[in-house]
Amino acid sequence: MCELNLGGVNMTAEHVDAGPQIDPFEAFRGMRDKYLESMSKVMIDAVNTEEYAQATGAMLNNYLTLSTPFREALDKAMLMALEQFSLPSRQQVIALAERFTNLEMRLDDIDSKLDRILESQSASQPSVAGVTPGAGQSSMSEAKTLHQANNRKGQRSK
Amino acid sequence: MTPATTSSNNWSVLERKLGTFNRLMTTKAAIGQTPKDLIWTLNKAKLYHYVPVVASEARHRVPLLLVFALMNRPTIMDLRRGHSFVEYMVGRGYDVYLLDWGVPGPEDKGMKFDDYVLDYMPRAIRKMKSVSGSSEFSMLGWCIGAILTTIYAAMRPDDGLRNLLLLTAPLDFSNQEKLTFARWTDEKCFDVDKVLATFGNMPGEMIDYGAKALKPVENYVTNFCKLWDNLDDPRAVEAWHAMNTWVTDIFPMAGGAYRQLIVDFYRNNRLMKGELQIRGELVKLNRLRANLLNVIAEADHITPPCQSEAILSKVGSTDTEIYRVRGGHIGIMAGSSAPKQTWPHIDRWLGARSD
Repeated sequence: MCELNLGGVNMTAEHVDAGPQIDPFEAFRGMRDKYLESMSKVMIDAVNTEEYAQATGAMLNNYLTLSTPFREALDKAMLMALEQFSLPSRQQVIALAERFTNLEMRLDDIDSKLDRILESQSASQPSVAGVTPGAGQSSMSEAKTLHQANNRKGQRSK
Repeated sequence: MTPATTSSNNWSVLERKLGTFNRLMTTKAAIGQTPKDLIWTLNKAKLYHYVPVVASEARHRVPLLLVFALMNRPTIMDLRRGHSFVEYMVGRGYDVYLLDWGVPGPEDKGMKFDDYVLDYMPRAIRKMKSVSGSSEFSMLGWCIGAILTTIYAAMRPDDGLRNLLLLTAPLDFSNQEKLTFARWTDEKCFDVDKVLATFGNMPGEMIDYGAKALKPVENYVTNFCKLWDNLDDPRAVEAWHAMNTWVTDIFPMAGGAYRQLIVDFYRNNRLMKGELQIRGELVKLNRLRANLLNVIAEADHITPPCQSEAILSKVGSTDTEIYRVRGGHIGIMAGSSAPKQTWPHIDRWLGARSD
């Protein structure tokens, strides 16, 4: 949805900053730009019509309908070949990937709980650190820092 | 100068231009270069924390989370050195985080807005809060990212979201006449279930074609003519190369989310009607209470202004503002006027609400 190339717009603006240039083809460029501008309006109107929407929809639908038997046959042949070579099928790899994601979520939940425990312990530390003031707090802070450092992938990229 | 010398010079100019053109078409520019740390991952999603350049005491207290669309790289927010929204915001003293959704694989074809909003965003936000040490945060959503952040803000109003910035937000689909996408994806013309049954995810090439076909002459012809005209201007060439690198980096959109976008949003306008359900829970926009800045691109043909305007009358926020910018869907944030118009306005609005 956001792929629209606006490079041309930027370049036009920046080109103005660069100052005028001597160009023997300026007249040709002016004609070309006028033509493209009028063509652009025509094409924008054309793609906005119901007919265009129906035509592209029909083309896509035909492509999908015609290609389905070939794709299914290919999938079936590929599945058999993979079985022969004792290799996992796409569906099996997908199932594995889904399990990985579930595991990641479980780990993230555990990480969240661990953060909360460390935070609550840090918060309660001053009231129970009567014997060695500050010592418990320091170790808790170190534990949290270590925990965060472990979580952090440390992949700083430039 | 003899005619032979002139002819020789013309040939060398043409040769140089062709060389530059060929380089631009066959290489990728270095985009997304602002230094950052990867602090969280889940499946393909990644949360980045940009390395602060302002001393902690001078920094804004409330961190900013950037959320971009599902079908393009978020590097558009950090396009190139000296012309990067991220770099600008980091330089203005914000603690900036970026949620990159990544590229969905075949195993993600069932992923829906429900998953992004209720599984991924809360976890990423928790990690951001943990790293920043702030219980409050700001969120900026752009394009589909604005849909996700709006739904999140409405469903989790007590999660510490203080400021919500929406950029070119496609939220209201009631004015079907003005929406070319709505015409193309109408159920009379487009069988979304058949497409997704075939491909699983919505292929990036089809999404790319859909976006470019809205202005076919500009995107397929004029764009390259303008490039040719400006090949001797290094600044223009650099800008074009960076934008082209981003534009051509296409990837699929998760099938479940694409289906929702077409059926729930484009065809039935469920969010604005108050009928959108996310994992069984009704999304009530009046529960959204965060301060709201709604940035609208006046020349946006992908998300026309009519899609973004109505949100303010639906939310429960008391501090709201609409900011209209001359420019297109991407140009308002990545175009040459963005550092003079859009970015400073965002900074002024957010800066006053981030301490």
